[in-house]
Amino acid sequence: MSAKKFEDLLEPRRRELSNYFYINRALNPQVAVQISPRPSPQSHQEAVLNSKKISELVTEISQKQNVKREEIVKQLRLILEEIGYKKNLQVIRYLGYLLTKIFLKVSTGVYVNHQGISQIKSQMGKCPVVFVPTHRSYADFIVFSYVMFAYDIEIPAIAAGMDFQGMMGMGEMLRNTGAFFMRRSYNDDSLYWSAFKEYVNQLVSKGDLPLEFFIEGTRSRSNKSIVPKYGLFNMILKSFFLSQVPDILFVPVNVSYDRILEESLFAFELLGIPKPKESTSGFFKSLTILKESFGNIYFNFGEPISTRSFFQHKSQHSFGSIHLHETSEEEKKLIPPLAYEIIRRQQLCTVVTYTNLISLILSKNLTRGQQYTGFEQLGVEIGMWKQILQSWGATIFEKDVGEAIRECLKVQQKLLHCDENGNIGLVTNKISVGKLNPSKLKAHVLSEDTISYSVPFIMLQLYANPILHYFVDAALIVIVLRSFGKMIKDELFKHYCTLRAIFSYEFVLLESWFKMRFEDALLKLKQEKIISLHQNGLYYDVFENKYFEEVLISSVQPFLLSYYVVTVVLETVSEMVDEKTILVNVQSVLENALRENKIFIHPYCLTLDTLGNCLMSLAKNNIVKKTRRNNINVYDVNREAVRKLKANLEIYIPAFHVIKSFDMFLHLKSKI
Amino acid sequence: MTTSANKDKNIGFPLNIKSTIPKHRQELLKWNGWGYKDSQFVYQDGKVHFTGKRYPIGEQPLPHLIGYVTETMGVDLNIQSIERDPPKEFDYPEPNIPQNVFELLKSLEIPYSVKIMDRVTRAHGQTLNDVFILKNGQFKRIPDVVVWPESHDDVVKLVKFGNENNLVIIPYGGGTSVSGAVECPQDEDRPIISLDTSQMNRILWLDKENLVACCESGIIGQDLERELSKLGFTTGHEPDSYEFSSLGGWVATRASGMKKNTYGNIEDIVVHVKMVTPRGVLQKNCQAPRMSCGPDFNHVIMGSEGSLGVITEVIIKIRPLPACRKYGSLVFPDFESGIKCMREVAKQRCQPASIRLMDNDQFKLGMILKPAASYFGIILDGIKHFYITTIKGFNIDKMCVMTLLFEGQEKDVKISEQKIYSIGEMFGGVPAGEKNGERGYMLTFVIAYIRDLGLKYQIVAESFETSVPWDRAVTLVQNVKYLISRDCKNFGITHFVINSRVTQTYDAGCVIYFYLGFNYSNISDPVSVHHQLEEKARDEIIACGGSISHHHGVGKLRTKWYTDTVSRVGADLLVATKKELDPNNVFATNNFLTFSTKSKL
Repeated sequence: MSAKKFEDLLEPRRRELSNYFYINRALNPQVAVQISPRPSPQSHQEAVLNSKKISELVTEISQKQNVKREEIVKQLRLILEEIGYKKNLQVIRYLGYLLTKIFLKVSTGVYVNHQGISQIKSQMGKCPVVFVPTHRSYADFIVFSYVMFAYDIEIPAIAAGMDFQGMMGMGEMLRNTGAFFMRRSYNDDSLYWSAFKEYVNQLVSKGDLPLEFFIEGTRSRSNKSIVPKYGLFNMILKSFFLSQVPDILFVPVNVSYDRILEESLFAFELLGIPKPKESTSGFFKSLTILKESFGNIYFNFGEPISTRSFFQHKSQHSFGSIHLHETSEEEKKLIPPLAYEIIRRQQLCTVVTYTNLISLILSKNLTRGQQYTGFEQLGVEIGMWKQILQSWGATIFEKDVGEAIRECLKVQQKLLHCDENGNIGLVTNKISVGKLNPSKLKAHVLSEDTISYSVPFIMLQLYANPILHYFVDAALIVIVLRSFGKMIKDELFKHYCTLRAIFSYEFVLLESWFKMRFEDALLKLKQEKIISLHQNGLYYDVFENKYFEEVLISSVQPFLLSYYVVTVVLETVSEMVDEKTILVNVQSVLENALRENKIFIHPYCLTLDTLGNCLMSLAKNNIVKKTRRNNINVYDVNREAVRKLKANLEIYIPAFHVIKSFDMFLHLKSKI
Repeated sequence: MTTSANKDKNIGFPLNIKSTIPKHRQELLKWNGWGYKDSQFVYQDGKVHFTGKRYPIGEQPLPHLIGYVTETMGVDLNIQSIERDPPKEFDYPEPNIPQNVFELLKSLEIPYSVKIMDRVTRAHGQTLNDVFILKNGQFKRIPDVVVWPESHDDVVKLVKFGNENNLVIIPYGGGTSVSGAVECPQDEDRPIISLDTSQMNRILWLDKENLVACCESGIIGQDLERELSKLGFTTGHEPDSYEFSSLGGWVATRASGMKKNTYGNIEDIVVHVKMVTPRGVLQKNCQAPRMSCGPDFNHVIMGSEGSLGVITEVIIKIRPLPACRKYGSLVFPDFESGIKCMREVAKQRCQPASIRLMDNDQFKLGMILKPAASYFGIILDGIKHFYITTIKGFNIDKMCVMTLLFEGQEKDVKISEQKIYSIGEMFGGVPAGEKNGERGYMLTFVIAYIRDLGLKYQIVAESFETSVPWDRAVTLVQNVKYLISRDCKNFGITHFVINSRVTQTYDAGCVIYFYLGFNYSNISDPVSVHHQLEEKARDEIIACGGSISHHHGVGKLRTKWYTDTVSRVGADLLVATKKELDPNNVFATNNFLTFSTKSKL
């Protein structure tokens, strides 16, 4: 697909003398549902207070606690004020102006697939519409609203975390553009949660604004998809299950950045060095970014998913007061496939940029010990990847290769540099961490050397991560074949499933889709001659395309290594162990191995995101049992299961031999 | 216990009635559409009018209708469909009835006919499918012979005859079924007898003391009301089809009348009923007002849709004619406020004889059918005064009208009016005069004629209804409308109408009536598309907590939802009942469920 698919919102802004008229143009924003009279922020809050559910709750509490109804209503009003969105066109226009100026300064383009958004706009007006963008940066919120402003769509009611509220001024500003706020902490303030749920119910079933929320629940620090969170999603879907609305359209949106605002913060966070609490001063500090260049931002709107068509389900709420109904257990079971489908579609909407390809290729070359990659070589490899990804259905953001590499080098100048001979490599030793307070670290106290060595690698990996989903399945198949040798299909599938299940948090996938993905990956591998069938089509084995084989294997190496080390650690620690102890041990083993500097170990394996994914996956697969005690996660380790998994992963480690002749396995062993 | 006991006291009974509808219905009624031949919408010389003087709307120009059909429905008035001529004898196969059986039938000395028009006329009800076939095609199966029993005893003979000779009997009353219940099963290879009850239409006796009358089941609504009113009584049962539908049909479908708030639904009106089955006559031994005596078998008969036997005689409640009858109306800013008002009226149990709420589309349609000068003018007319003073805030494209009918003693009507209007006010309603109310009810009868006009210009239309708990009513309407609009688009339909009204209120819920029509000029199989749309709508109705039907019945159109509605056990119970009452499946209507016709049950 060509770049023409995308339109640059900044292009006309750059050409005009002043953006004033654009910002103050007459708006006739498209609503999600035509309702007259139009509901207002205030009317929604009143509707919550007057809802049967809430007024019954008020009665109940007032009787139980012997407090006056008015008292509780007063509390509720405060809660609703904390939650509720507002609409202030002046603020919207002001922010629009500010953003235009900022974008023109730091961005080269804000690209949107205009056909996608026009299609959605044309479908709006009849039933609730929920935008579900990927969440990779704080900027998502604001840029998304900017795009809506540009296409004259009502700025959605956006579910935001309370942490924004802490940023003085910022929270209110966002609120005035339509953000509503959800407390993050899991307390059992039943009054709060009842009010919040009812508020969401009102927005969905009686509101006319589109909604927007992040199904991943939080910004993905790794720049790849994370498993869906269900809290808010369930609340939104309730209106559908109870037939309060005829349908809900979920619009998957992929938002990606040539350079993420928080990239270095994320890299530190991934190592366990905590993020600063969101505060306005932090925000203003980040205003220094105005001097930098962030390249393009890409918005790719996917096709709306009709909940109605997706579920094809019969409602089961014919008895009793409808306002007392909740989503049934049976209906809840329908929800995960929809959530995963939304994430899958977000992934399908990935805009593959040259930055992604460059990161992938450089990372591979670094892994094979090649510190520098020549400009020409990079161009050639990019060409190969473009072709393969395109044939796999990816959307590539087209550009002239040479120009693209130069632009990437410019945008990523803190990370990448190119010497006079055209050799491209990581910028190293530029990061000074300063004094760290060990008590604030989330895991192991990594040495300053380790940190400053690792951060560039991790940052580089952040830009390879968004496209890993295109080939992770192929990579796992190749690793199996490389480790075991030729194999019949059934056997291969079994091994694939074991590995895939372990990585189902790392590379988000529903178990019921394994078969489909497996078949799909096999086909791709055969097409690219990475694997082939032998002996009358009975056995699969690796084939002649060694280049792609190597990239595939190297792409998952850090993850496999992390997971392996987790099993190693779990074998040695006590059977009841808290999360931090595990993380500390794993990081310490890996740091030692890294320090040896004998062989190349990708520092991404130190990341807490990956270790966290691993622990969740182990819990899901009943290898550990997770409980929460005094606010910390404690794991009950099933030693036998861990041993089995370890033995299993162990087999795959030597697959890295392909990359360079070293015995990583033995090397690691010596460190443990 | 019926005739003899009351004969002496009942001078003039049994009362033979000359029905408005002749024995050969097609002489007075359209053979291929709704209602009287002399009453129809006609487009002529650039104008539309309604013919005849039977209805107040007749013989007056309807200037607004053309704009509506051309703009809203995209009709090209220059293209008129050609409707087929009445069928000739050779259009359908000869009656499939062995000579010896036919001779036996003749020997019963019950009037019969094998003429093609008599047979075709009784092969259908009034579903869209039926009427479309009449106008454009041919039925796959029609009755082989029509019989006109003249008494309960005739029916007993006929049922026995059918049971002994492996025949099928399909009871036929007023022919207004909209569920496909009277249609012949297509793959039925036994001879099919259509049992037309129209000639059993006597009022057998009348008991003024207890206010009940015993009638034969073939009496049609307008005859019954006319004759009773001569005597100072009414049943108060007025379904929209009451000009043509029969007492037996009401019982067999669990009918509901417009004025059920005052007089009750058919189940409240029926005191006693006789049904002739192949196993004998199912009935009770007294006309006591209520009994505690196990399951009430009246409820096996009511709603049986001709699949268990023939209803022959019914004892119904009658009431003295009301002294005062008054219409009224209220206008509401939107549908939801109208429903809230209805809910409150139901809560206070102060419903007048009838209370209905038309949505904005129906409200407009009503206005469009007004003989008046300008569109703007018609909205003003009658409600002019309130429009000028109060309406300001009302949106013409949102407002709804509630129509009211009060019956009773004058002072009671007055009190009732006051109460309703004050409740109306609570929900933003504004009284809009008697005229608008009266027109609303008149239009109910006329609207049925519109479909025939539509079919001439490539519009198909049909109504469907449901009952639903109060708290789900608004969302049900909203969701069905959404779904129809969405799916019409998916089918490539460009012009369509989906509107609704609330026609009845209960303590626990209300009845919603939908009207769905579309322009099919670019659709190849409009009836099937309409059917699919209606099916989706019904799925959604049920998902929203609504019922399979409030008063139209299940028939063949709604079998899909029958078992889920009554549970597996319920469906089995029906099968067992059928096996007991009709082991040879004489009444092989295939309503509710497909009972095998081949193997014996």
